[in-house]
Amino acid sequence: MSVAGFLELVINGLISGSIYALIGSGIALIYGTTRVLNFAHGELLMIAGYLVFFFAVTLGWNVFLASLLTLVLVGAIGALIQRVTIAPLLAREDWAFRVIAATIGLSIFLQSGAQLVFGERFQSVPYFFRGVLVLGDLRMPWQRIAIFLIALAIMAVCALILYRTQLGRIVRATAQDAEAALAVGIPSGLVHTSVFVISAVLAGAGAILLSPLISVNPWMGISYLLKGFAVVILGGLGSFGGAVAAGFLLGLIESFSVGFAPTEWRDVIAFTFLIAVIWVRPNGLFSGREA
Amino acid sequence: MTEVFGRRPFLVLALLAAALLVVPFLPLNDYVLHILTVFLIFSVFATGWNLTLGILGLKTLGHHAFFAIGAYLSAITAYYGGVSPWLTVWVGALSAAAAGVFIGFPILRIRSMPHVAIVTLAFAEIVRLVFSNLKDITRGELGFWGIPPFDPITVGDMTVRFGIGNAVGSFALAAVFFLAVHLALLLLLTSRTGLTFLAIRDSETAAESLGIRLSAWKLFAFGVSAAVVGLSGAVYAHYVMILTPTSTAGPEMLITLLAMIIVGGVGRFFGPIAGALLLTVLSEVLREFGDFRMLLYGLVIIVFVFVAPHGIAGLRLGRLRKAERAEPGTAGAT
Amino acid sequence: MLRLENIDVHYGATQVLWDVSIEVGEGEMVAVMGPNGSGKSTVLKAAMGLKKPSSGRVVLDGEELQGRSATVRPRRGMSIVLERRRLFPRMSVRENIMLGGYARPSAEAHRSFDWVLDLLPEIRPHLDATAGKLSGGQQQMVAIARGLMARPRVLLMDEPFLGLSPAMVKNVFAIMKMINGEGVAILFNEQNAKLSFAMSHRGYLLESGRVVLSGSGEEMLEHPEVKRVYLGVREAVS
Ligand SMILES: Nc1ncnc2c1ncn2[C@@H]1O[C@H](COP(=O)(O)OP(=O)(O)O)[C@@H](O)[C@H]1O
Ligand SMILES: [Mg+2]
Repeated sequence: MSVAGFLELVINGLISGSIYALIGSGIALIYGTTRVLNFAHGELLMIAGYLVFFFAVTLGWNVFLASLLTLVLVGAIGALIQRVTIAPLLAREDWAFRVIAATIGLSIFLQSGAQLVFGERFQSVPYFFRGVLVLGDLRMPWQRIAIFLIALAIMAVCALILYRTQLGRIVRATAQDAEAALAVGIPSGLVHTSVFVISAVLAGAGAILLSPLISVNPWMGISYLLKGFAVVILGGLGSFGGAVAAGFLLGLIESFSVGFAPTEWRDVIAFTFLIAVIWVRPNGLFSGREA
Repeated sequence: MTEVFGRRPFLVLALLAAALLVVPFLPLNDYVLHILTVFLIFSVFATGWNLTLGILGLKTLGHHAFFAIGAYLSAITAYYGGVSPWLTVWVGALSAAAAGVFIGFPILRIRSMPHVAIVTLAFAEIVRLVFSNLKDITRGELGFWGIPPFDPITVGDMTVRFGIGNAVGSFALAAVFFLAVHLALLLLLTSRTGLTFLAIRDSETAAESLGIRLSAWKLFAFGVSAAVVGLSGAVYAHYVMILTPTSTAGPEMLITLLAMIIVGGVGRFFGPIAGALLLTVLSEVLREFGDFRMLLYGLVIIVFVFVAPHGIAGLRLGRLRKAERAEPGTAGAT
Repeated sequence: MLRLENIDVHYGATQVLWDVSIEVGEGEMVAVMGPNGSGKSTVLKAAMGLKKPSSGRVVLDGEELQGRSATVRPRRGMSIVLERRRLFPRMSVRENIMLGGYARPSAEAHRSFDWVLDLLPEIRPHLDATAGKLSGGQQQMVAIARGLMARPRVLLMDEPFLGLSPAMVKNVFAIMKMINGEGVAILFNEQNAKLSFAMSHRGYLLESGRVVLSGSGEEMLEHPEVKRVYLGVREAVS
C-alpha cells in the first residue's frame, strides 16, 4: 500500500470516527449521568439533518447561521424528550427497560413521522467548504477535513464544560454518585436535562457535518445510533473519554476493513469487533475511566 | 406464579385449542385464514422472545436475528439440499439455538441491561447484513424466492397441502405448531426448570445463593428461546416461501415484535399471544394506511409503557399491581 | 429544631421503618444506635429527603420539609455525611469540598471553604489529590468538610467511624465534639452502644425499624436492656 493510500485510510477513519465519537460521547454522557439508554438519540441526527437542510437549502440562509439555529433547536428537542418521555418514567419500577421500550417507540414514531411529512426523498446539503487539499499523492476535500477538525473542537469544548465549569462539576458529581450529589443539594432534574441538551447538540453537530456527504432521510439515525451504542460499550459504558477514543478506533477499523473486504461487509466487521471485545473484555477497552 | 401464567394455564391453552379447532369450520375466506396463520406463527415468535425478555428478565433486543437464522437456514437447506422442510425446520431451530448460545455466552456474564440490549441488537444487524451480502446464496434484498412449502400429507384419500395459497392446510399446520410449542413451554416452565427461571428473574443474587448455576441456566434459557424463535422463522419461511433480510431481521421486525410483547404484557405467558392477535388484526384492518403502521406501532409502544406497563394481560390482574414506586435515579440499570 | 414525626418508610413493597419519631434540639448531639439492617441509614435518609417516607413528617425549625425536594435541606441548614463517605471519587478534594457549598452563593461558599479548612487543617495538604485515592480516615475528614460547607445547624452523620483505625476513630470523635462545640447539632448513627451513648446528649435505640428505647446518653448506657444485649455482647466479643 502506498503511503498516500495508507494516509487516506487513516484520515477517512478519523473522519467517520469523529462522527461516531460525537454520537457515542453524547450517549455515554447520558448513560453515565442518568443510567438511561436513549434509543431515540439517532432521531436527533435525523431532525438536525432536516433542520439544517431547511434553513440552509430551503430558506437559503448562510450555513453557519443555519447550523447555529439547528444546534439550538436540537438541544431544545433533546431537553423536551428528556422532560416528557424519560423523566416521568424514572420514578417507576423497572424503569430501565421501560425507558428503552419508550425510546424505541419514540424512535420509530419520529422516523415514520418524518417519512410521512418529508417523503422518502433523499436530500443533500451542499458542501460548506470548497476545494481540495492536495499533499503529494493525497487528495482530500476540505469538507471532510473540516468534519474532523470541527468535531474535535466541539468535543474539546464539551470536555472544557465538563471539567472546568460548575455545570460540568455537578454533572460529573451526579455521574459519580447520584445520591451524594442530591445530598449536597445538586438538583438532579437540572443535571439530567443539561446532559440531554449537551448530547443532543453533539448529535446535531454530527448531523450537520455529515449532511453534505450523506443524504438527509428519515432513517439516517438508525445506523449511527447502532454505531454510537457500539462505541459506548467499547469505550466502557458511561465513559465520555472512552467513547471518544472508541469512536475513533471504530472509524479506523472500518476504514481499514475496506482494504481487505468489500464495503458492504464494513458494518459486519465493526459489529463483530464489538462482539469479540465483549467476549474478551466485557467492560470495554478503556474501562475504569468514567466522567 | 399466577402473575406469569394466570391461575389455570392449561385450561387457557385447552380453550385456545378448542377455538382453533372451530376456525376451519367457520365460513372464513382464505384471506382471513392467512391473517390467522401469520398471527399464530408470530405468536410463537413473541412467546419465544418473551422467554428471555420477560420470564427470564434478560432484556435482549435481537431475537429477530434468530427468526432470520431459522428462516434462512431452513430455506437454504431445503432449497439447495432438496431436503424436506419437515426436516429442515429443525436445522433452522438448531442453528438459531447455536447462535443463541454463541451470543448468550458473552452477555450472560454481564448483568448490565445496556450491554445485553446493545450486543443483541448489534448481533441482529450482523445477521441481517450477512444474509443481505451473501447474494450468491440468498439473492440479498431481491428476495430468496422459490422456497419449497412443507410436503403434502396424505391421510386416506385426502391430501393436505401447505404453503401460501393453501389456506386451510397452512392454518392447520400453524395451529398445531402453535399449540405444540406453547404446550411444551408450559410444561417446561411449570416444572422445576420453570421455577428456576422465575427465581433468576426475581433475584439473581438470591438465585445464586440457592446454588443455581446462573450462567448455565441463562445459557439454557437463551438456547431454548432462540430455538423456539428460530423454529417459528423456519415455519414462516416455508409458509410465505419468500424471504428478504430486512423483512426478517430488520428494525421493523424488532418494533413489531416488541409492540406485540409490550401490548400483551412482558413476562406474562399468554400476554404475547394476545398482543400478536391484536396487532396482527389491527395492522390488517389499517392495511390501506400502510404508511402509518410503524407510526402506530411506535405510538402503541409509548402509550402502553406509560399507561399499561404490564400490557393487556396486566390489566385484568389490576389488583396484583402494588404501589408502583421504585428508587428514583440511582437504583436499577446495572 | 429537627423533628421526625411518626415516619414510615417502604422500599418497594417492604416496609423498613415503622412509626419512627426522633428529635434533635438546638446544639445537641444525638445518637441513633442499632444493629446492622435495623434502619439507621434509612432514618437519616428520610430526614435528609433522600428517601421519601410513605407517611409521617419531617420538621425543621417549625418548617414542614416533608414533600419538599432534597435540595432545599442544605439551604435550610441541614447536611449529611453519608455512610462510607461517598465522596465523588474521581474529583479532587477541593472540588468535593466546594460542591458541599453548592447550595450557597459562591462568595459565601468561599468563606465557608476557609472556615472549614481552619477547622480541619489536616486536609490542606491533600486539596489537589483525587478523593478516591485517599485513605479511609482522610476521606472521612473530607466528607465532614463537605458536609460543613453548607454551614449546617444540624449535621447528619451515618456511621462516621465505620472502617476507621482506632486512632482515626478518636480523631473523628474529637472533631465531632469540636463541631458540636461550635453550636452545630449532630444526629449520628452508630452500631456500638458505648461509642454512641457515651458521647451524646440523647440517644435512640432502633431495632427492626422501630424505636424501642430512648433517653439521655447516661440513661441509655445504664439501661439494663442496652447493657445486657448490646454492651454485654460487645464486651464478650472484644
Ligand atoms: N435501596 C434499598 N432497597 C431495598 N431495601 C433496602 C434498601 N436500602 C436498605 N434496605 C433495607 O432496609 C433495611 C434497613 O436498612 P438500613 O437503613 O441501611 O439499615 P442500617 O443502616 O441500620 O444498617 C434493611 O433491611 C435493608 O435491607
Ligand atoms: Mg447503614
